Amino acid sequence: MKRVVSVSLGSARRDHRVQVELLGEPFEIARRGTDGDFDRAVGLLKELDGKVDAIGLGGIDVFLFVRQKRFAIQDGLRLMESVKITPVVDGSGLKNTLEREVVRILARETNLIKKGTKVLMVSSVDRFGMAEALSELGCDVTFGDLIFTAGIPYPIKTVEELEEIANKILPEIAKMPFHMIYPTGKKQESQDEAKVQKFAGYYQDAEVIAGDFHLIRRFMPSGLKGQTILTNTTTPEDIAFLKEKGVGTLVTTTPVYGGRSFGTNVMEAALVAVLGKPWAEITPDDYLELLERLNFRPRVLNL
Amino acid sequence: MATHEEITESLMVFTENYNKNERLKIMNKDWNRIVVVQATDVESLHTLTLVDGVVSLKEGKANNPDLTVISDSETLADIFYGDITPTGPYNNGTLRIIGSEDDIIRLDFISLMIWGE
Repeated sequence: MKRVVSVSLGSARRDHRVQVELLGEPFEIARRGTDGDFDRAVGLLKELDGKVDAIGLGGIDVFLFVRQKRFAIQDGLRLMESVKITPVVDGSGLKNTLEREVVRILARETNLIKKGTKVLMVSSVDRFGMAEALSELGCDVTFGDLIFTAGIPYPIKTVEELEEIANKILPEIAKMPFHMIYPTGKKQESQDEAKVQKFAGYYQDAEVIAGDFHLIRRFMPSGLKGQTILTNTTTPEDIAFLKEKGVGTLVTTTPVYGGRSFGTNVMEAALVAVLGKPWAEITPDDYLELLERLNFRPRVLNL
Repeated sequence: MATHEEITESLMVFTENYNKNERLKIMNKDWNRIVVVQATDVESLHTLTLVDGVVSLKEGKANNPDLTVISDSETLADIFYGDITPTGPYNNGTLRIIGSEDDIIRLDFISLMIWGE
């Protein structure tokens, strides 16, 4: 049996372990949270190194892609570099392919996304593929990176402006302690009440709210009117939370195992284990072909 | 070591560049803040005041600032002239900023929006 483990800076309360079969091969997939404790994450990575088939890094990004440019988050790199033997991924490779594809599937097969749909992406530099795919479809997208990461109420409205701002700030932001720019550990279980109130209008005006689930959750106001959420990692508790806030439909980009969808990092780690070749040699086409063979489909759940 | 006059000059350059940037003024319309800039190795205090997106500079220290930026004179002049970004000195402890984490992040974003490449 192949073993894939996601080591996350997120809360240990979301830990999970399932056994699945991928292309006829049995896999054990587990997620282990470290409650935002960086040193604990490094210790766990070192302990797992060489003992499992692939490792995913969760609750943190290592690489952000903005078109052809790649920015490396320093804290993420430190985690990645603590693993010497086992292939380790952060999900960014898969996001760039899978999430583009998911947007196209939803446009083709559902009424959820079409030209003119008002989409709020709470953050987009961590999933530029999705951002580009939504723009290419002609959606009316608000890129909320400055709003929800820096508290600056400035909606970015084009991919070109997103790219221009990202090129200015990402080289430096990538050097900041990760907890300053993204909710880690216990912060993932609470909401930022001041910003929930201040930025509620962005959620209420949108038909689709897309992006990282922890960010979506942290700033989500009550009283939504049947909006669609497009994200990846959700648990049954998350689904209950979304329902309570008035969300109408939940779309998750990664498949559901044991009642929950795993993070993109876990799925990418599983694909790397299936492919059995070094991560640096894997191309987007390898992922696309494998996704096709595995029949990966987004899950659409009416709440 | 930079002089008080050099820090003043660097802050004037920063203020001018900020106020020339219409997008930054729109971004910060909601962010009225008083920022004190304090050198540790020379007698030098300045106050930047943001009101309705526009920043103004005064010598001396305001009471009850929202943010206090503290570093040696050379680092302060380098940051406000745009020769270095604040991230490095902040991460290695050369630059201290007293204030809420949200305000610190926002100040960092503003300086990157002015000087970032």
